[in-house]
Amino acid sequence: MAKNQTSDAGDILQGTLDLLILRTLILGPAHGHTIANSIERTSENALDVEQGSLYPALHRLEDRGLVSSEWGVSDNNRRAKFYRLTAKGHKELAAATNRWRRMTRAIGLILGESN
Amino acid sequence: MGFQRYLDREDKDRDLTEEIQSHLAHEADDNLARGLSETESQRQARLKFGNPLTVRQRVWSYRSLPLIENIWRDIRYAWRSLRKTPGLTIVALLVIALGIGVNTAVFSIVNAVLLQPLPYTDPESLMRLVLFGPQRTSDVASVPEFNLWSRQTGVLREVAGYDTGGAGLNLTGGDHPMQVQGVHVTHDYFTLFGAPVIAGRTFTAEEDRLHGGNIVVLSYGLWKQRFGGDANIVGKTIQIDNTPYLVVGIIGRSFVTDTPADIWIPYQFDPNSHDMAHYFRVAARLQPGVTIEQANAQLKLASDQFRREIPNVIGPQNHYGVIPLKEWTVGDTRTPLLILLCAVALVLLIACANVANLLLAKASGRKREFATRVALGASRWQIVRQLLAESLLLSLSGGLLGLLVGYVSVRLLLSVNVGGLPRLGKDGAAVALDARLLFFTLGVSVLTGILFGLVPAVSASRTNLLANLNEGGHTGVGFRSAHFRSGLVISEIALALVLVIGSTLLIRTYLNLQAVNPGFDTHNTLTMAMSISGDRFQTSAPVALMIRNGTERLKTIPGVVQAAAGNGLPLQGAFGMPFDIVGRPKGSSPFTGGAGYYSVSAGYFDSFKIPLLRGRTFTENDDASAPGVIIINEAMAKQYWPKGDPLRDHLQKAPGDKGPFAEPSRQIIGIVGNTRDGGLNRNPFPTMYIPLAQMPDGETALNSRVAPLWWTVRTNSDPHLLVAPITAALREATGGLPVAHIRTMDEVESLTISRQRFNMLLLTVFGASGLLLAAVGIYGLMAFSVEQRTQELGIRMAMGAQTSHLRNMVLRQGMILTVFGVVIGIGAAFWLSRFLASFLFGIKAWDPLAFILTPLLLGAVALAATWIPAVRATKVDPMTALRFE
Repeated sequence: MAKNQTSDAGDILQGTLDLLILRTLILGPAHGHTIANSIERTSENALDVEQGSLYPALHRLEDRGLVSSEWGVSDNNRRAKFYRLTAKGHKELAAATNRWRRMTRAIGLILGESN
Repeated sequence: MGFQRYLDREDKDRDLTEEIQSHLAHEADDNLARGLSETESQRQARLKFGNPLTVRQRVWSYRSLPLIENIWRDIRYAWRSLRKTPGLTIVALLVIALGIGVNTAVFSIVNAVLLQPLPYTDPESLMRLVLFGPQRTSDVASVPEFNLWSRQTGVLREVAGYDTGGAGLNLTGGDHPMQVQGVHVTHDYFTLFGAPVIAGRTFTAEEDRLHGGNIVVLSYGLWKQRFGGDANIVGKTIQIDNTPYLVVGIIGRSFVTDTPADIWIPYQFDPNSHDMAHYFRVAARLQPGVTIEQANAQLKLASDQFRREIPNVIGPQNHYGVIPLKEWTVGDTRTPLLILLCAVALVLLIACANVANLLLAKASGRKREFATRVALGASRWQIVRQLLAESLLLSLSGGLLGLLVGYVSVRLLLSVNVGGLPRLGKDGAAVALDARLLFFTLGVSVLTGILFGLVPAVSASRTNLLANLNEGGHTGVGFRSAHFRSGLVISEIALALVLVIGSTLLIRTYLNLQAVNPGFDTHNTLTMAMSISGDRFQTSAPVALMIRNGTERLKTIPGVVQAAAGNGLPLQGAFGMPFDIVGRPKGSSPFTGGAGYYSVSAGYFDSFKIPLLRGRTFTENDDASAPGVIIINEAMAKQYWPKGDPLRDHLQKAPGDKGPFAEPSRQIIGIVGNTRDGGLNRNPFPTMYIPLAQMPDGETALNSRVAPLWWTVRTNSDPHLLVAPITAALREATGGLPVAHIRTMDEVESLTISRQRFNMLLLTVFGASGLLLAAVGIYGLMAFSVEQRTQELGIRMAMGAQTSHLRNMVLRQGMILTVFGVVIGIGAAFWLSRFLASFLFGIKAWDPLAFILTPLLLGAVALAATWIPAVRATKVDPMTALRFE
């Protein structure tokens, strides 16, 4: 039972994390460390997750064809794997943003009414 | 795509590891820039990243195929768990292998005999032509009948006749004449059965007519063996009984016939024949779209027509019809095979109960393991699944073992004795390891695995977490589980009893059969067959002369007491022949009656020691020039002369026959004892004997062509020792004719009850297996129960209980189970034994001996099996037992 609860919460987080990653990549290709820092900054540390949990999400996105990756050299002159938003990723981002907006608006309405 | 992801995962993991290194390095760079020390920078980076292994695991599991991996993991766990208890695992494996092995063995026979389609094209439309009668169905045909059936082209096609057994023929022309199996067939035979012609051709319709010439088709085996595979054999002539035959073709190796043949020769029937001798079989194909019912209706009409054309041949209630070839071939072997299949199913059930018991015992010792797993988050399904994996691993490996054991043992068994079963080929070669057998064994294995695995699995998954964790290692069998296990043992005993009672009934039947007096002395008698198909033996005089020379020559061999010849042997069955008693009114029926019929030489009765009851036997003076004489057996005298004196009467054999059997009536000169020619389990039937020297020439010619002459030699010691001089003497006396089928009468007798012996042997093996398994089962349960109650026994002992009291306590517990099992088993056997009734001889299905002695035997075995744990219970050391906690 306890296990099921965590995994439900995980699913919600998962969708959000995917959205945040896609949102970050719209600014251009980036490697994992950059993406992590960027999410941390823009979400005002609201998503208090370990940076490592970014990678399973990245790999899943790549598998779904929403991002592509290739090894390159970073500003620090280190080898790093750069992720880039694909055309499919662009579409998915737009759709997901819409869904997200509709949902938050609906939640807002519900919360507003009940108050 | 999912699978590709699965295959890529090792590469991707390496990639990810590097990616994580890169991430940590970048973070450390940032930290360095913020002024932290190098070690601190790296430590902070790692802290912020979290556990890299967790990340890799998450990606890894995302790339896994859960089903395959779970199964693989379950198998590995199961293997580990089975290895932890090697003794139990080996016992369980052996029990399963035994249970599945016997099933595989019996099913492989059922498969070959009952399930496999006939090895010919469109086997469903192949029919045997028969004469249905109120009492029996006859499958032997005469030439006029064959001609009648051939004309029924509306319903039948490719009507083909072929020999019932196949006459031995002598291949001459080489240094050693060789007796081969020659089968006479009509020309449609090869088309009907789709025989593959690998060289030349088969007979044409013209060649199959009267005076169609001497031609022969060779089998693959004979072609290779006798003619060295000579590629130019077609078109050459070979010598058969010193007559040249033209080889026109060779049939391929794949052609399988019921009677194996070395050569085929055309019958060359006379289309206008009124010869009423029944001596061959007929098969045909239904015309496309014609049903069996339609064919039978048409043939019934044809029977009426036949009755008008040739009166007094078939009775008013008889009519012709068809029976599917496969059904007729399988015959009455279906029921005994199905009974054997049920018997092995019982053995398997006992085996399952046994293994379930073992696994329950094992599971009850693992309660803490399961409780720990549940506490660590395993779901009930996961526990059930793991235990099922264990039992399936057991049952599948046991099944594999059983398949090997079963297949090997069935081939061994059949190479000793095919038990009179049809379609099995030489030494059971037709019993093959085919897909159906493999699927059967696989299915049975999976089913048994689930059957014996499910109960322990479900009961183990119902663990009470706290209770088990707190029990601190000391676990008792739960109350329900103990009852369930007792129930299993009771059913094992009941099932085993059913099997043992069944095998006892068959053993007694077999012993009764062996004790039957066949009506003659089977010991010290050698018999052999000689083909006399050549031109020399077309009339009776040369045959009689040859036999007289032969017997005289044989009697000069030291050790030979008597010698004779005849056209048949006792126990092997005789020809049937209608007869009239001259001067006795016969009412509406065409004949006074029918009887078995032998033509024999003078020494025949002496040689077999068939007793003469009245009158005299034949002498050398009863030859063609002397008045016709005939001898009847006791059964015939009793049936047809209940009051009168047969020796005053004349018999007319084959009344109304104008063909080869036609002859004047004969004086009855003697009455001899009965021989059981229809089988040891049948009452002797009326039989008549005439001197070979007095046979009508036409009948001799027919006999010489389609059946061998049987020689019999009585010796005063083991006849096997005289085989060489006897065969040499016969060859010398007959101008070089070889003999075949050399057997003692003891062997012939043993062959006639080989089917009963086969069924008895198998059921006894199954009964013994069941008994053994049940004994193991009750031993296992009692041993386990004693072990579980060590503490209780220790306390009882410390309180001053007598050892005999403790022992009896355990014994009583075991015996209560046994009594329950025995009572249920007797009830079940009482109900089931009716299905065996038709296979029994000389005893009733509720034979008191079987129903009283067998339970006692089983009780004794159960007592012995309980004795060991009971004695162990008395050896418990109270101090150890109490400190056990």
